[in-house]
Amino acid sequence: MMRRLPWGAIAGVGLIALLALVAPWLGLANPVAMDVPHRLAGPSGAHWLGQDEFGRDVFARLVWGARVSLTVAAAAAALACVAGTALGVTGGFLRGVVELLALRAIDVLLCFPPLLLALLVVTLLGPGAATLIPVLALVYLPGFTRVAYAGVLTARSQDYVEAMRVLGAGRTRIMLRTILPNIGGPVLVQVSLAMASAVVLESGLSFLGLGVVPPSPSWGLMIGAARATMTQAPLLLLWPCLALTLTILAMNALCDGLRDAVDPHPAYRPARWRLLDSLAPGLLPAERAVLDVRGLTVEIDTPSGPIHPVRDLSLQVFPGETLAVVGESGSGKSVTSLAITGLLPGAGRVTAGAAWLDGTDLLRLPEERKRRLRGGAMAMVFQDPGSSLNPVHRVGAQIEEAIRAHRKMSGGRAAAAAITLLRRVGIPDPARRARAYPHELSGGMRQRVMIAIAIANHPRLLIADEPTTALDVTIQAQVLDLLADLKRESGLALLFITHSLPVVAEIADRVAVMYAGEIVEMGPTAEVFAGPAHPYTAALLRSAPVEDGPPPVGIPGVVPPPTALPTGCIFAPRCDRRLAECDAAHPALRPAGHGRVTRCIRVPA
Amino acid sequence: MTALVTASGLSKHFPHGGLFARGRAVQAVNDVSLAVARGETLGLVGESGSGKSTVGRLLLGLLPPTAGTVSFEGTDLAGAGAGTLRALRRRMQLVFQDPYGSLDPRRRVGAQIGDALSIHGLLPRAGRAGRVAALLEQVGLDGGHAARYPHQFSGGQRQRIGIARALASGPDFLVADEPVSALDVSVQAQVLALLADLRARLGLAMLFISHDLPVVRHLCDRVAVMYLGRIMEEGPVATLFAAPLHPYTQALLSAAPSLHPERRKTRLLLQGEPPSPADPPSGCVFRTRCPIAVPACAERVPVLRGEGHRIACDRV
Repeated sequence: MMRRLPWGAIAGVGLIALLALVAPWLGLANPVAMDVPHRLAGPSGAHWLGQDEFGRDVFARLVWGARVSLTVAAAAAALACVAGTALGVTGGFLRGVVELLALRAIDVLLCFPPLLLALLVVTLLGPGAATLIPVLALVYLPGFTRVAYAGVLTARSQDYVEAMRVLGAGRTRIMLRTILPNIGGPVLVQVSLAMASAVVLESGLSFLGLGVVPPSPSWGLMIGAARATMTQAPLLLLWPCLALTLTILAMNALCDGLRDAVDPHPAYRPARWRLLDSLAPGLLPAERAVLDVRGLTVEIDTPSGPIHPVRDLSLQVFPGETLAVVGESGSGKSVTSLAITGLLPGAGRVTAGAAWLDGTDLLRLPEERKRRLRGGAMAMVFQDPGSSLNPVHRVGAQIEEAIRAHRKMSGGRAAAAAITLLRRVGIPDPARRARAYPHELSGGMRQRVMIAIAIANHPRLLIADEPTTALDVTIQAQVLDLLADLKRESGLALLFITHSLPVVAEIADRVAVMYAGEIVEMGPTAEVFAGPAHPYTAALLRSAPVEDGPPPVGIPGVVPPPTALPTGCIFAPRCDRRLAECDAAHPALRPAGHGRVTRCIRVPA
Repeated sequence: MTALVTASGLSKHFPHGGLFARGRAVQAVNDVSLAVARGETLGLVGESGSGKSTVGRLLLGLLPPTAGTVSFEGTDLAGAGAGTLRALRRRMQLVFQDPYGSLDPRRRVGAQIGDALSIHGLLPRAGRAGRVAALLEQVGLDGGHAARYPHQFSGGQRQRIGIARALASGPDFLVADEPVSALDVSVQAQVLALLADLRARLGLAMLFISHDLPVVRHLCDRVAVMYLGRIMEEGPVATLFAAPLHPYTQALLSAAPSLHPERRKTRLLLQGEPPSPADPPSGCVFRTRCPIAVPACAERVPVLRGEGHRIACDRV
């Protein structure tokens, strides 16, 4: 598979390199031939960019200077890259003594200011291009070692590295074939940085008289010389600076492009700009429901065009009720919760529908009012309690903050309220635990803290997105019991999003089964599970292992990608009860008795 | 049945703290003995921190044990030389939990499956492509997919690729570390069926590590329940699930969410959380959460006793 190479940047760097390479055959003026009578002459037909303080042709010196500057920079960067990466990879992968020697030596090098280090070596070895290359390589070596070392530490803990060990691969093979390609990206970026900065440092050292020896042309020498005559001929300063800037820009673009090109993942392209969302007017809210979602449709921009991960979704959650939204990955269940809470990522937006929370349409609220609702009347609990809590604040303080963001309360009273909440969610010794940091608590405890924050302001609606997925079964049972208690006592409406059918059976009064972006069946949990009306629900139930039941049976095929949905029933391609009519038209949700709805034409209306 | 892999008195303690901080060691695994025979699947269940994954790594010789031995067909892994160990590597393989992290994102899947063939010199270069295609087909994928990159596959397909990679060297023993817990339930069943089919066809001995009890019940012949680094109970799947003896096993079975919660007779809800493996309780490690613990439980570590169905509890 050929990937898109950064042709523009390749052409830019190639042109500069080519100019430098073929300089002797370009028929340029002699870059060291003086013409003192015409010193500091401006641009003319014979001298396109004018003449310098000795009357030498500036264009010729620029091109010849590129030869020296670029050779030094490229050779130094390449040398530093090879040596530095080798040190970093061996140090990071082999650990132990090698790591200690390589990394400490590099740390010592890093302690010297680079210019001072370069000055020291040049003073010892004498100026000249040949000395400059190893000097600059030495200056940039630590950067490569550090980048490679950090990359290796990340890569070596990956399962695919462990997999190579399981296969019996030797260390050299793992380092060269597995680790090296995976740290290639950052190392390439480092090459571009080192090369660009080597050109600058070469200029600086030459300017100080420690690099390229006059009269040989180099960009640094030219800048140095032009500085003296800056008032008489400011253009002389401009040309080498311009050449330097363009070269560095081209190199950075090339390295960025190469990094993307060697990455087998498709590149992300930014979302297209939309000035206005076409919002369709919603229907009137039904009575009583705490949350009433009607015809919700979400659009997300992706590299391959807009997709609709949720289409025409309607559901209601009543006070004291738990509605579970269950589905597999790609079903759109989490996108639904993000759309309702107004937390869709930047590339996503609601294109149709309405979501009323106690009569307020959440989807059309200004951001400021939405923010006040979140954590107030509408609270959320997410899957990963570890990343939802701020690691640098005590959990008690985080609960207090949640309270005081919505209510005026003195610090002392908020602290007392936080402890009461911690006790309420079943945390033993709440006064002491309030002073703990999140990392001092177990996963189950952290999820209890998240629930305490969620119920701090007596929400009407609690949206829980896979709240027990990261927890062990004995802890999961405790948290599910806690949620059921809270719902019973406070009458809040619970929208519970999960992939686990047994969890749904344990906690939900009603269940909405989602498949590829739409609800295919909804109704009271016990009835839906006892006699599923939609073939997908039935297949899903058959694939869940039951301890004392028949062996689980999977569903053949995969969920259709949102870019290629079937025109008829979207489950038809995987359905074992498919009819010819199933492909004809997309079925609507139809009533199936006892407050149930299903999206299957085989169910009698 | 003669055991293919045998572990006896296996312990693994990870040193805690840095170079100068002499912290307490984390006792990930303590005195674990188990055996897996050819064609047999042993389920290893437990919650996070119970040490079940560490046991898997120890059986494969990927970690050196602190105490105890692992032997493969009578060869002690610790005493084996580098050459013997390398040859044994070919015969025992690992299937990972995370279908995303376990494949190298920058190499084609065919090359990754073929690694085992080239590392062990199993086939001349010319024959490898055909073998890779055959392996892909064996796990239910298209043989022509070898030239694709991992990100072009779904989670379930990646897990199949991981299984194909593990099978490439023709192993006798497979450790499957939570191989389906990252997958959707409809895909989970397909991968479980594949593992059961491969086990039957290839006569694999398998250690199936999982926290999902119903899955273990359907796939495994025997099951061992771990808590805080020790085996609490071990026995044939049918008897252990039908009549769990150890209070922890009973609690674990009753805590698992069920599709038919109304059928559950009693709900035994454990209080509190597992103690830290760096500071396990004295005596029986489960006593701090055990509903039937007595002071004597703190005195001595209960030994795993019994024939066939073994249990480590002095109160039963």
